[in-house]
Amino acid sequence: MNRRVLLRLVVVVTTALAVVVLGFAAAHATIDAPTVFLGLLMLAGTVLRPRVGQVYRTSLDYVLVIALYLLSGVGSAILVGAVGALGQDRRHPLVKKVFNGAQSVICAAAGGMVFHYAGGPRGDDVLSHPWDAIWTTTAANATWLVVNALLLCVVLSLEPGDPSPSTFLRKVALPTSPSLLGYGLLGLLLAVAWLSGLGFLSILLIFVPLYVSRWALSQYEVERRAQAATMRAFIQVIETKDLYTRGHSERVSEGVGMLGRQLGLPADRQTALEHAGLLHDVGKVGVPTSIIQKPGRLDDTEMDAIRLHPARGVELIGNIPFLEEVKSAVLHHHEKYDGTGYPAGLSGENIPYFARIIGIVDAFDSLTSTRSYRPARGVEETLAILTQDRHTHFDPGLVDAFVEVIRRHGWKTAVNQPAPDGSVVAAIDHDDLSLGSGGGATGTAAGPD
Amino acid sequence: MATGMTEGLELRRMGSGVVIVVAGAALAFVAIIMTARRGMTEWSFALTFGALIAIGEMVQFRVDRSRNRAPIATSAALGYAMLRGPSVAIPPDVAQIVAVTAVATVAGILPRAIAGLWWDVVVSCRRGVSVACAAAVFAALAPRDLAWTGRWQDALWLAGAMMAAVLSAGISDALIGAGQATERYNRPFPAALRDELAVMGRIGIAMGISGILLASGTALLGLWAPPLVVVPLFLTQFAFRRFASAQRTYRTTVRSMARSTEIAGFSSPGQNARTAQLAVALGHDLGLTPPRMEALEYAALLSGVGQLALADPSPGGASLLRTRAERQRAAEIGASVIERSGVLDHVAEIVRHSNDPYRQGRANNASIPLESGIVNVALAYEQLVGEGTGQSPGKAMESIGLGIGAEYDPVVVESLRRVIGRGFRF
Repeated sequence: MNRRVLLRLVVVVTTALAVVVLGFAAAHATIDAPTVFLGLLMLAGTVLRPRVGQVYRTSLDYVLVIALYLLSGVGSAILVGAVGALGQDRRHPLVKKVFNGAQSVICAAAGGMVFHYAGGPRGDDVLSHPWDAIWTTTAANATWLVVNALLLCVVLSLEPGDPSPSTFLRKVALPTSPSLLGYGLLGLLLAVAWLSGLGFLSILLIFVPLYVSRWALSQYEVERRAQAATMRAFIQVIETKDLYTRGHSERVSEGVGMLGRQLGLPADRQTALEHAGLLHDVGKVGVPTSIIQKPGRLDDTEMDAIRLHPARGVELIGNIPFLEEVKSAVLHHHEKYDGTGYPAGLSGENIPYFARIIGIVDAFDSLTSTRSYRPARGVEETLAILTQDRHTHFDPGLVDAFVEVIRRHGWKTAVNQPAPDGSVVAAIDHDDLSLGSGGGATGTAAGPD
Repeated sequence: MATGMTEGLELRRMGSGVVIVVAGAALAFVAIIMTARRGMTEWSFALTFGALIAIGEMVQFRVDRSRNRAPIATSAALGYAMLRGPSVAIPPDVAQIVAVTAVATVAGILPRAIAGLWWDVVVSCRRGVSVACAAAVFAALAPRDLAWTGRWQDALWLAGAMMAAVLSAGISDALIGAGQATERYNRPFPAALRDELAVMGRIGIAMGISGILLASGTALLGLWAPPLVVVPLFLTQFAFRRFASAQRTYRTTVRSMARSTEIAGFSSPGQNARTAQLAVALGHDLGLTPPRMEALEYAALLSGVGQLALADPSPGGASLLRTRAERQRAAEIGASVIERSGVLDHVAEIVRHSNDPYRQGRANNASIPLESGIVNVALAYEQLVGEGTGQSPGKAMESIGLGIGAEYDPVVVESLRRVIGRGFRF
C-alpha cells in the first residue's frame, strides 16, 4: 500500500515538473517549418505506434527531438517531444499514460538543457561548426538516455512484479544504449539534410535506414522463435514413440533453464543450455521403437543400442551452428561423476559443465514421472535421492544448487501420463536410476541406464 | 558422357562470372590508367572513401541463399560517386571514382583472402560495374559546378540526380544478377529479374539512401560526415548479420531434423537431400519466388518425417513400394507434425498433399499448391534413380512419363524432362 502511494507521488511530481517545463518551452518555442513537419511526423508515428511496437517508438522520438534541437531550438524540441506522448496505447491505464508523457517531456528537456548550456549550434551554424554539433547532440542524447533510465528505475523499484531496476539496467538499458547513441547521430544527419535545402524530404533519407535496421532486428526475433518452435515440435515427434516420456525434453529444458539462471549464466550460454536440455535425447530417434517400448529386461545388444543415443544425437545436430557446449552436453549427458557413465566414462570435472547440469535435471524429471513399472515419486523424495547420490552420480555443488532452486520455485511435474502398467515387470527407462544396479541388464555399476 | 556434361555445366557456370570479372577488370584498368595520367584530385576524400570501401569489403557477410553483402562498401562507393561542393572543390570524375573503388576493393579483399575467409571476386566486380553506372548517370545529370548551396532548387536537382544514379546502379546490378541466376539455376529470366528487383527494393534502397546521405553530408560537413553516417550504418549491418546468422541456424536446424528419418532407418542416407536437390531444381525451372522455393525445399526435406510416428522402417525407405493409403497417412502425420511448430504452415500444406495423385488432387482442387506436385515427382524420381544405383535417368523418366496426368502433374513432369535434359544428376 505504501508503495502505491509512493508511486502515485512520483507520478504527480514528475507530471507537475513536466507541466512547468512545457510552459517554459511553449513560451520560448519558435513554430517554424521543421517544428510543424517533425511534429506531424511524431504524431503520425504515435498513431502507427501500436502496430510497429515499443522499440520503434523510442528511436523515432529521440531522433526527431535531437534534430529539432539543431533546427528550431530546445523549446520546439520539447513541444514536439510532448506531441509524441499524445497517442498512446489505449490499453495502458491513465496513470501510465500520464507518466509516459511526463517522461518524454522531462527527457527532452534534460537533453535540451545539456545541449543549450554546452553551446550547441543552431540553424546554419550547424554546417559551419560540425564538431560542436556532433559532441553537443551526443551529450544531449546520453543525457536523454540516462534520465529515461533513471525515471524507469524509480517506477520499477516501486512497482511490484516488474523486472527489478538492476535487471532492467543490466539486461535492457546498458546493452541497448551504445546502439541508441549511434542511431542518435541520425538526428544530426536529419538536421544537416534539412539545412542542405532538402527540407522535409530529408525525413525520407533518415527513415529508410532506420526502418531497415528495425526490420532486421524484428526478423532476428522471428527466426529465433521459429527455431525454438521447430525444435520443440520435432522433439515432440520423437517422444511420441514412448508414452511415458512425453514432455520429458521440454521439462528438462525448463529445469536446466531454472538452474542456469540460478548459476547466473550469461544470456548466450543460458540459451545454449536450454537448447541442450531440449535436444539431449534427440538421438533416441535412432533407437528402434521396439527397444524403447519393450516391456521387461533388455539384453546386452539392446542396451548397447540405447547407449548409442548420445552419439546419434550429436550426429544429428552436428551441423547446426550451436555453441560447442551444446554438442558436448548432448554427447556426455549420461556420464556419471564417479566415472561409471557412458559413452566415454568421464568422471568429475572432466564431464562438460552443461552435461553435468543436464544429468541432474534429466534424472530428476525421470524420477518424478510415471514409468510403466512404477508410479511417479514426489518432489521431496526425489530431491532426497539426488542428494544421496550427489557424490556418485552427480556434481555435488550443482545438486545443491538444483535442490535450492526447486525448493524455492517449485516444479511442474509431468501431467497426463498413463498409469503404471501392473503387468509390466521391468521395462527400463534409460534415465531411471531409482532401480539401483540390480535393475540394469549390464551388470556394471552404471545402473540400469 | 555424364562427366562430359557436368564439365560443360561447370564451364557454363563460370561463363558469365568470367565475363563480369573481365569487364570489371578492364573497367578498373582503364580507369586507373586515366586517373594516373590526369592526376588525382582531392586526395583526402579519395582516401577516406577508399578506406570505407575497403573496410566494408573486409566486414562483408553472407546471407543464406544469396551472395555476400557488403552494404558499407556499396554505400561508400555510391557516396563517393555523388560528391559535389561546397566542401569538395573539385568533384572526382567517373574514371577516378572507378579507380578508387577498384583499388579499395582489392585492398579490402586481400586480407580476407589471406585469412582464408570466403570472398567472391564476381560479386565485387558486380559492385564495381554498378558503381560505374551510378557515377556515369550522376555525372550526366548533375553539372560539376552544381553545389549544395542551401537553395531548395539546387538541393532538389542534386537529390533527383542522386536518386537516378542510385536507381541505375540498382537496376544494372539486378539485371546482371538475374542473368547469373538464369544461367546458374536455369531460372526463367523474368522470374529471376523480379526476385532481384525485390531484393533491391529492400536492402538495395537502404544502401542507396545511405550513399546519398553520405554524399550530401560530406558535401556540407566535409570529412566530419562519413563517421556520422557510418556509425548507424555499422549498427544496421550488425543487426543484419545477427538476422542472417539466426536464419542460417534455423535453416541448418530444419535440414538436420530432416536427417532424423535417415538415422531412424526410414530412408537411405542422403535420400532427403537428393529429393530436395531435385525439387529445388524443378522450382528454379518453374520460376518460383524465393519464399516459395524455401518452403519447397523444406517440404522436400521433411516429406518423410511422418514415418517417424509409424512403427517400423520399411527396408531402404522405399516409400514407392508401400501402399498409397499408407503413404498418404504418413504424409498426413508429417504435415500435422510440421504444423505443430506453428511457423511452417505452408510447408505442412505441401507435405500433406505430396502423395496425392494428380488426378484426384491438384487437377480438381486448385487450393493444393504446385509445390506438392513437385515434391511428389521429386520423390518418385529419386526412388527410381537413387544414388545412381537404380534405373538410368532415361528409364526413370519413361516410367514417370507413364503416370503423367494420372499420378503426376504434367507441368512438373515437363519441367523434370527439361531439368534432366540439361544434365541434372544427383
